[in-house]
Amino acid sequence: MWANKFPRRTFLKATAATAAAVGVGDVFSIGEWMKQANAAPVTKIPSLCETCSAACGMWVHVKNGRIWKVTGQKDHSQSKGRICARGHAGIAMAYHKDRITHPMKRIADNHFVPITWEQAYGEIAAKLKTVLKEHGPEKVFFSHNPRPTNKFYWPRLMAAVGSSTIQSHHSMCSTGRDVAYKWTTGGMATADIGKTKYIVFLGRNYVEGLSPSTAANMEAAHARGVTMIVVDPRHSNACLFASQWVPIRPGTDLALLLAIANVLLAENLYDKEFVDEWCVGFDEFRQGMKQYTPEWASTMTDIPAETIYAIARGLGNNRPASCIEQGYKAPNGCNYANGTQMFRMVACVNALLGNYGKDGGMKFSNPPKAGSLDAKKYPAPPKPKAARCDGAGIKGEFPLCQTSQGIVHLMPQRALEGKAKAGFLYRINVARNAPGPELLTKGYKALDLLVVCDVKWSETALCAHYILPECCPAEREDLPAVVSSTVTMRTAAIGLVHSECKPLSQIVTEFAGYIGAAKYFNFTQDDVANAIIKPLGVKLDELRVKGTIKVKAPAPKPLSFKTKSKKVELYCKAFADHGFAPVPQWEPPYSKAGKDTFVLIHGKQGFMSHTVTASDPYLLAIARRDGLERLWINADRAQKMGIKDGDLVEVASPQAKGRVRVKVTERVHPEAAYLPAGYGRLVPFLKTGVGFGISPNDFTPSRAEAISGHAMMMEVLVTVRKVGE
Amino acid sequence: MPRYAMIIDAKKCIGCYACQVACQMQNELGPDNAFIRFEDRETGKYPNPKYVIVPLQCQHCQDAPCVPVCPTTASHKDSNGLTMIDKDKCMGCRRCVAACPYNARTYLKDEGVVQACNLCLSLVKQGEAPACVATCLTKARYFGDLDNPTGEFAKQLAKAKPLRPDFGTRPTLLYII
Ligand code: SF4
Ligand code: SF4
Ligand code: SF4
Repeated sequence: MWANKFPRRTFLKATAATAAAVGVGDVFSIGEWMKQANAAPVTKIPSLCETCSAACGMWVHVKNGRIWKVTGQKDHSQSKGRICARGHAGIAMAYHKDRITHPMKRIADNHFVPITWEQAYGEIAAKLKTVLKEHGPEKVFFSHNPRPTNKFYWPRLMAAVGSSTIQSHHSMCSTGRDVAYKWTTGGMATADIGKTKYIVFLGRNYVEGLSPSTAANMEAAHARGVTMIVVDPRHSNACLFASQWVPIRPGTDLALLLAIANVLLAENLYDKEFVDEWCVGFDEFRQGMKQYTPEWASTMTDIPAETIYAIARGLGNNRPASCIEQGYKAPNGCNYANGTQMFRMVACVNALLGNYGKDGGMKFSNPPKAGSLDAKKYPAPPKPKAARCDGAGIKGEFPLCQTSQGIVHLMPQRALEGKAKAGFLYRINVARNAPGPELLTKGYKALDLLVVCDVKWSETALCAHYILPECCPAEREDLPAVVSSTVTMRTAAIGLVHSECKPLSQIVTEFAGYIGAAKYFNFTQDDVANAIIKPLGVKLDELRVKGTIKVKAPAPKPLSFKTKSKKVELYCKAFADHGFAPVPQWEPPYSKAGKDTFVLIHGKQGFMSHTVTASDPYLLAIARRDGLERLWINADRAQKMGIKDGDLVEVASPQAKGRVRVKVTERVHPEAAYLPAGYGRLVPFLKTGVGFGISPNDFTPSRAEAISGHAMMMEVLVTVRKVGE
Repeated sequence: MPRYAMIIDAKKCIGCYACQVACQMQNELGPDNAFIRFEDRETGKYPNPKYVIVPLQCQHCQDAPCVPVCPTTASHKDSNGLTMIDKDKCMGCRRCVAACPYNARTYLKDEGVVQACNLCLSLVKQGEAPACVATCLTKARYFGDLDNPTGEFAKQLAKAKPLRPDFGTRPTLLYII
């Protein structure tokens, strides 16, 4: 009976206390209880992890109605039967102390009161109608991290409202890369690590920015003897499997790529046939690369010229089974001012290697096609015509940015400028995961209406007028999705821990009724699920039992590029038309370390996912025990500054100051200081994680890069000085 | 009786902590109690550093110093050669914790008892691999029977050695480093 009231581990404690009260040796002894607990029947229910974007398939083992543990689903392409630390710990979010347990209304700063769902829906609908009347749908936006259920429900609701501004988290993640590939290769190709002979990782870290399968793939490639070059200011754990660590000055990867292209062209190591058949603008490109010798790049990157020659030749000699891995966040995703052009160069070098569509090179995926709702029976709202309020795809603003992603971190600034008035945020913590917390908080609070839907308190939720509590992944079923050659789905492992929380499909459907959009939601979640899996030949009942089911992969398609020219655009006319360099050229990052400064770089740890997990009691205990919130500084520089391992330092940028302990190490470039991302919670009443570590975002200004609008998250210089305890 | 053992290839360990947390869940431990812990070592100078991560847990020593010091026989060797702790008999004196040279025993404050890696015997008896072995992201952990080694475990066995032979406890857990 206690089990219904207390989290599992508190339950143990409670039982221990009871045992003590009635006297050890009684029938309530821990040993006896454990025997009973161990004997309790265990059921295994299929679910998907929700601590990172990989969404690994897993089994939730439920004992006495409570979550015991998880194990990996063997058929799931991301987990392949294995679950990382975040997944093992994260499923217990259902019992987390910092959950939002009721619909909430903000009545003063950091002060919320619980209200009923009816009141919440009613007041939100009324405020939304006022905004729509006074400002129109172009000042309404929606931000989320796209996952199967929200990807279906929220955009449909926003279309009913008439708003076009739907944004994913990518401007704080991979937008630089994604905009660049859209205009260069027309789609995202990924490195075929299973068959490659020579692969270069630029900042990408398969074993810490991990899913179980990326870590396994890197280990397997290492065992196969593949040459793997890790270029990174930091000797990350990926270097454990690398043939070579190439430390680079932060933000100069573009120079390295320009020089690699220069060598491939000068030494005739490129694939002439591929370039002739599949590329446009080769002459301009070749001309453009002439000036970028390895000797020049060496002065920019701090990499010896011989190393650059060796990498270029290694790539050229192993083509087409060689590649520059596509990366996601660093350094091409959202970290530096030159990130978009840097990824243009990644795509161009891969084209010179002629590796697209080839084993060991870059491959486009061709997943089985999912179905959708019958539009006649279930009419969808018309596609909204309102202009976007984040500038994505708009002339004079960010014309090349893809509207499927938008510029999420820009909205607080837009609110301050009066260009945005009402926002709906689903499970996204922009106020903490993007640079410049003060501005972000001020901006979100300047909106007429901010609605946050989430499972636990976050820095962003604190800015909201209304908070709608969703139930946890363990408590809900979600829509199926196609992942590689499988269809996979989360089912509910346990009942609701907090009775007022609701699954998203219910929240959106109910709210639609309050704004006159019920007619667009005349179906159940099961109807949508059935429509999605229908063409795949899978039945919902079977999926609910198996979790992940292999489906037939479509026949491989011949190589094609979905750009305007249907080719790889070494010269991109769209870039020229909008005043950007059509052939990538050297652009320095904004930040270059001086004698007294460091570029503040950050990166993931294998057991943490930004603020999603930074309050998890198990993962937090790991970080505390092993001192993993520390700032890394190069040993030589630390010595010159009189800083010793474990010292407390003050980190400062023009924007902020913060205190943290130092890890003095040989594993980082002298011009970079590395902070793990995720720590430094700013929600004063959180029961876990507050007061531990600092966030790189505190020090970095809120900005948007010119081409794709990404957040330039590593463009900041900091000073570091020892302070007394 | 099988003689169960584990081999850990530290060269493959990426320090992801998956094994540690899987073990905590399997054994219903709180956040601050873990049977697995890690030591890491950095050598060399920039730009050529070397780095290794070593996962540690009960080594199931054949000459286990934690056993004779136990006043209640809670700490004992079982028929599979494993070092086990009978929770019901443990009075929490922590002499074994002090005696273990690997610092591999954990005192569970809330329950007042000492526990350590039990090689997931309950899973093993059901024909499953220990939780840490089953989840290790890079397959750095191998489980098997020393008297009847098969598959990958048998292959790795030739390369595997005790972590600290100098401790003289003849561990059943072996390492590749
Ligand atoms: S590692 Fe420690 S606890 Fe385990 S058997 Fe050896 S001495 Fe005992
Ligand atoms: S064998 Fe089981 S008890 Fe031992 S460390 Fe691994 S998971 Fe924990
Ligand atoms: S799961 Fe494997 S790779 Fe990860 S920390 Fe444990 S032993 Fe190392």
